[in-house]
Amino acid sequence: MGGKRVMGKGGRRAYAALSLVAAGALVLSGCSEGGSKEGSNKDDKENAQRQQSSIDFGDAKASTGPATEVPGAKPGGAVTVLQRDSYAHLDPGQIYVSDEMALSQLIHRGLTGYKATGEDGKKHEVVGDLATDSGTTTDGGKTWKYTLKDGVKWADGSAITATDVRHTFERLFAPFVANGPTFIQQWLADTPGTGYRDLLKDGPYGGKHLPDTVLETPDAKTVVFKFKKAKPDLPYALAMAGYSLVSKAKDTKEKYDKAPMTAGPYKIQEFKSGKSMVLVKNTNWDPKTDPIRHQYIDRFTFAFNKQYEDSTKAILDDSGANATAVSFNNEVDAGNLSKVLADATLKSRTVAGYQPYVGQIDINLTQKEMQDKTVREAIAYALPITPFVRAYGGTAAREVAGGLISPTVSGYNPNFDPFGKKKKPAGDPVKAEELLEKAGKVGLKLTFGYINTPEGQQYSTAMAAGLEKAGFDVQRQEIPAETYYDQVGKVKNNFDIYHTAWGADWPSASTVIPPLYDGRQIQDGAANYSHVNDPKVNADIDKASTITDPIKAAEAWNKINEYIVKDVVSNIPTAYYKQTQIAGSKIGGLVYDDVIGGIDPRRLFVK
Amino acid sequence: MVDGDQEPAAAPEAKVPVGRSPGQLMWLRFKRDRTGVISAYVVLLFFLVGLLAPLIAKLYGNNPYTVYADERPELFDSAGVPVQPNGGISGEFWFGLEPGNGYDVFTKLLYGIRNSLGISLAVTLATVLTGIVLGVAAGYLGGRTDFLISRVIDFLLAIPAQLFFIASMPVVVSLFVSPRDETPVYVRVVALISVQWFLGWMSLGRILRGTSLALREREFIEAAKVSGAPPGRIIRKEILPNVVTPILVQATYMLPNFVTAEAGLSFLGVGLVEPTPDWGQMFSKAATELVMQNDITYMFFPGVSMIIFIVAFNLLGDSVRDAFDPKTAR
Amino acid sequence: MLRFLLRRTLGSLVILVLLTVVAFLLFFGMPRDPALLMCGKTCTPDALANIHRTLGIDKSIPEQFWIFLQGLVAGRDDFAQGPCPAPCFGYSYHTNEQVWSTLMDRLPLTVSLALGATVVFLFVGLGTGMLAAWRRGTLIDKSFTAGSMVLSSMQIYFLGPLALAVLVYQTHLFDEPRYTELTKDPVAWFTGLMIPWVVLSTIFAAQYTRMARSSMIEQLQEEHIRTARAKGMSRRYVFFRYAWRGSLIPIVTILGIDLSSMLGGAIITEYTFGLPGLGHLAVESVQFSDLPLLLGVMLFAAAVILLCNIVVDACYAFIDPRVRLS
Repeated sequence: MGGKRVMGKGGRRAYAALSLVAAGALVLSGCSEGGSKEGSNKDDKENAQRQQSSIDFGDAKASTGPATEVPGAKPGGAVTVLQRDSYAHLDPGQIYVSDEMALSQLIHRGLTGYKATGEDGKKHEVVGDLATDSGTTTDGGKTWKYTLKDGVKWADGSAITATDVRHTFERLFAPFVANGPTFIQQWLADTPGTGYRDLLKDGPYGGKHLPDTVLETPDAKTVVFKFKKAKPDLPYALAMAGYSLVSKAKDTKEKYDKAPMTAGPYKIQEFKSGKSMVLVKNTNWDPKTDPIRHQYIDRFTFAFNKQYEDSTKAILDDSGANATAVSFNNEVDAGNLSKVLADATLKSRTVAGYQPYVGQIDINLTQKEMQDKTVREAIAYALPITPFVRAYGGTAAREVAGGLISPTVSGYNPNFDPFGKKKKPAGDPVKAEELLEKAGKVGLKLTFGYINTPEGQQYSTAMAAGLEKAGFDVQRQEIPAETYYDQVGKVKNNFDIYHTAWGADWPSASTVIPPLYDGRQIQDGAANYSHVNDPKVNADIDKASTITDPIKAAEAWNKINEYIVKDVVSNIPTAYYKQTQIAGSKIGGLVYDDVIGGIDPRRLFVK
Repeated sequence: MVDGDQEPAAAPEAKVPVGRSPGQLMWLRFKRDRTGVISAYVVLLFFLVGLLAPLIAKLYGNNPYTVYADERPELFDSAGVPVQPNGGISGEFWFGLEPGNGYDVFTKLLYGIRNSLGISLAVTLATVLTGIVLGVAAGYLGGRTDFLISRVIDFLLAIPAQLFFIASMPVVVSLFVSPRDETPVYVRVVALISVQWFLGWMSLGRILRGTSLALREREFIEAAKVSGAPPGRIIRKEILPNVVTPILVQATYMLPNFVTAEAGLSFLGVGLVEPTPDWGQMFSKAATELVMQNDITYMFFPGVSMIIFIVAFNLLGDSVRDAFDPKTAR
Repeated sequence: MLRFLLRRTLGSLVILVLLTVVAFLLFFGMPRDPALLMCGKTCTPDALANIHRTLGIDKSIPEQFWIFLQGLVAGRDDFAQGPCPAPCFGYSYHTNEQVWSTLMDRLPLTVSLALGATVVFLFVGLGTGMLAAWRRGTLIDKSFTAGSMVLSSMQIYFLGPLALAVLVYQTHLFDEPRYTELTKDPVAWFTGLMIPWVVLSTIFAAQYTRMARSSMIEQLQEEHIRTARAKGMSRRYVFFRYAWRGSLIPIVTILGIDLSSMLGGAIITEYTFGLPGLGHLAVESVQFSDLPLLLGVMLFAAAVILLCNIVVDACYAFIDPRVRLS
């Protein structure tokens, strides 16, 4: 029954003529300027410099509040926080992703924490947060003693006691706590992997507790951790958001994840999962007990589902509420990045720095063809890194990597670059082809599993083109973004190569090398994505784990890193992740904190 | 063929003596319609360009698969935006370079046109065939066949087409996936053709059902029946020649719709994917922040070429319809 | 009339049930296991089976289908997330929200988008179309019809990004499209949807210009119009009293189709402008293999299509008494 279209002939000729005119007008308005000329990234290099110095463990004096005032700060005002993802977890025990970690800086408190010792977010020391100091050990790290400060309280006014601390760690063994870090549990149980749960099967809920030989709470203020092996990194681990304290009286198990009891300077007034959140001042927080945090802003209003483009555009707009808008975790999107950096006034509202992640192409050693080292070397030479850098917005967002240790982690060596990626980021197909011919594997089929996002599609196509120049037959296989890590995390997966990224949990490579490259950790879902199981690596890991001197340990870890990249060739470093974040013009105290890996929310104020 | 050009333009139908078939008459009328002829040339040009894309690309010296951002890094900034103004248009890259991986826009467009038109042509052929078979069968056979086919049409028309496409494309593609090899391009092509065909034939089917329903009652069909011709022969020899007009007219309206629908699917990311060039995929690239903020020139190449194609095809469709059926034109 | 409506409604219900069957089968062919998404980092086969059980996808497909149909009519309370009143489409795998409330949450945007655009393109399209028909053969006619030819050949996925790039990013004349509830802030509602409306209307109005013009011209050649003119009624009177009424029939038909496709979620439009309406929801549900959500959007859109068809058929009777409902 479609409408009939009737046209006079004269009319039609006219359209034809006018169509041309209209099309011409369109073309005229379609002129554009070229791409940006890039400035230097000296700041970031300096960032890297400072990272190599290790972080001190602070004493009681350093752990005493209040925190040093932020210059020019004044109290009052409301801030809008635009975030891409809603917070899936608010229960400290379940927190292990960076957005939730950033939020927990405002609401949760742990035994220790990182205190910025400068105004630029680059120097830190680990101090006591709820504890009086960063921890004392008399036997080289097997026994650690913490004492709670006087006058520390939950948001409801009740006191924080050693019972809460005991409860916090005991509930981590309960089956429903499945998303947080597992370091301390494994240390207490002295087992790698998921076997630690056997130590206290249902957590504290069945009335059972950890024995005093593992965790001792002699009085209401004292906690003693006892490990079988020396754990010199405990003060770092305790500073993770995932080990913030949980109130025993208010523990609601699974429901705690949406409405936790808090102790930080802010408390949750309202949380609508997927939509919004409001934080208001916690009047029971005493600045005198807190060397780390401030409480300048009256109110944080969070809006979720703001993609990077959305938050960037809103903040660029800078009118009304947007002038006091910020995002803790969204970065300036790749499309706007060069424009923002080219404009001096816009650039002054940004902060930039490294994220803890290092990208790498994992070569799946379970696959038969990949067990030939010459083939792996050919891949390493052929692989272009530029597609990866491009897809995420250029050198301001990704820096071509030489090794697997990030510039933010002690032991980073800027001169290490065995495959010449820094000089030839687009790959060296000639060298690669020679190697492939030597191996007699020209035309080898290489299955490349890539994450199905616009960026993943873009860089994987160009990487495949680069590998094909060297004589590989690349078969790209898309993997849905939401299950990407599950699929490449399977020991028996069908892919030869895939890209993953890993961030250190604290600025020591002890949170990078063992989980990723220890051959005894290979299992479904584990992070040893390339399934490397090298006896030398395994032995060196065991040796490095026992070194208590941080500087010597860092050196040892870096040696393992260099051995893996250069001699095992199981993982090809791609890039160190960087980001640029932006805030409204009325936001003060804007600093990129390297430990948080983003804007430091604790020191923000409204100008 | 009759030499129509030499006839006076005024009133050729008035010259009684020459006997012409309806097809010849239609051709005559069409040739006199200048807009129609020009549009036909434009449309033809597009198909020719699509057909000859590999040859043109060879002569021109670039191809749509080369990652120029890695081959010629001096032409791009580190985010893959061409450094030169207007998307890097130059004597070497006539339509510039695509922001991102830096594909050559000219050849990408040629190959995109080739792939999109090829797919749409296949969909048109498939839907026309299905429309003829089911439409004529329903109309001519009537009874239970008619009821069944009409209900199927009602049902399919109630399905939200675009939603169905995006939901079913991954399913159809996954039916063919091998664990070690890349999903071959032909799998996506077949999937694209089949989902569009599945929901594309109903309008033509309905029209043909109506036409053959009317034809069934006409005397010449009755006569054929009485003279003992089998139904197959009646359909082939008597019905089909009489439904050619609506088929041609409908097909010229359907094809541009399939082109835009296919492009829409690729725009949404469920059609052809990089690095296979496709018209719609170029639009999805054009809609990224990278292009909108840094290189707006890029979006005009797929945009303007598609407008010209659709306008020309619609004008051609009108001319074809007028040529067949001069009454409605005035 | 009532019998007609009743029959059409029953027919539509049958179609909806059939559609549910098809959609169900289709989505169980989906290549991914939704449970994997919810299983988290430390996923074990046991945990996975447990999630399968809570999602109800450990049962056979016919069984699941039957439960789903029951839920639609009577509601269900066997979900871990809480009770689910009729019409129950279940809970989204991805967001854990009730599908029906999510649909209702997204609907106002889609309706605002569709109705706003309709108002604009009907006024502009019919106005220019009739003007062109009235002034047939003049320059006005020719430029209107030529312009409409070009504009109607444009696609949202070209015109949308172009409008954004030129009007928003380069010249900053307009705001970024965003949706504010009408009841909250009518001004923001209006300014936020302005660009999508204009873009949609540009493309649609052109079609209506062409259609209004041609069907008007066709009407003017009908015998009852000629008779009226022969009896001495003025051209203007005939034009506005009789002819335009008749020309509405094909327009109502197309309007029904356009409205039904927009109200069910204008996928490309919402995707282009990043507006979180029903069409956007559809794309999200495919991305996350969110079966209950996808079923919900699909059935909702189909119901809108069927409803629009019935309304259109009923409209014919009011516009043109000659049309008999058969």
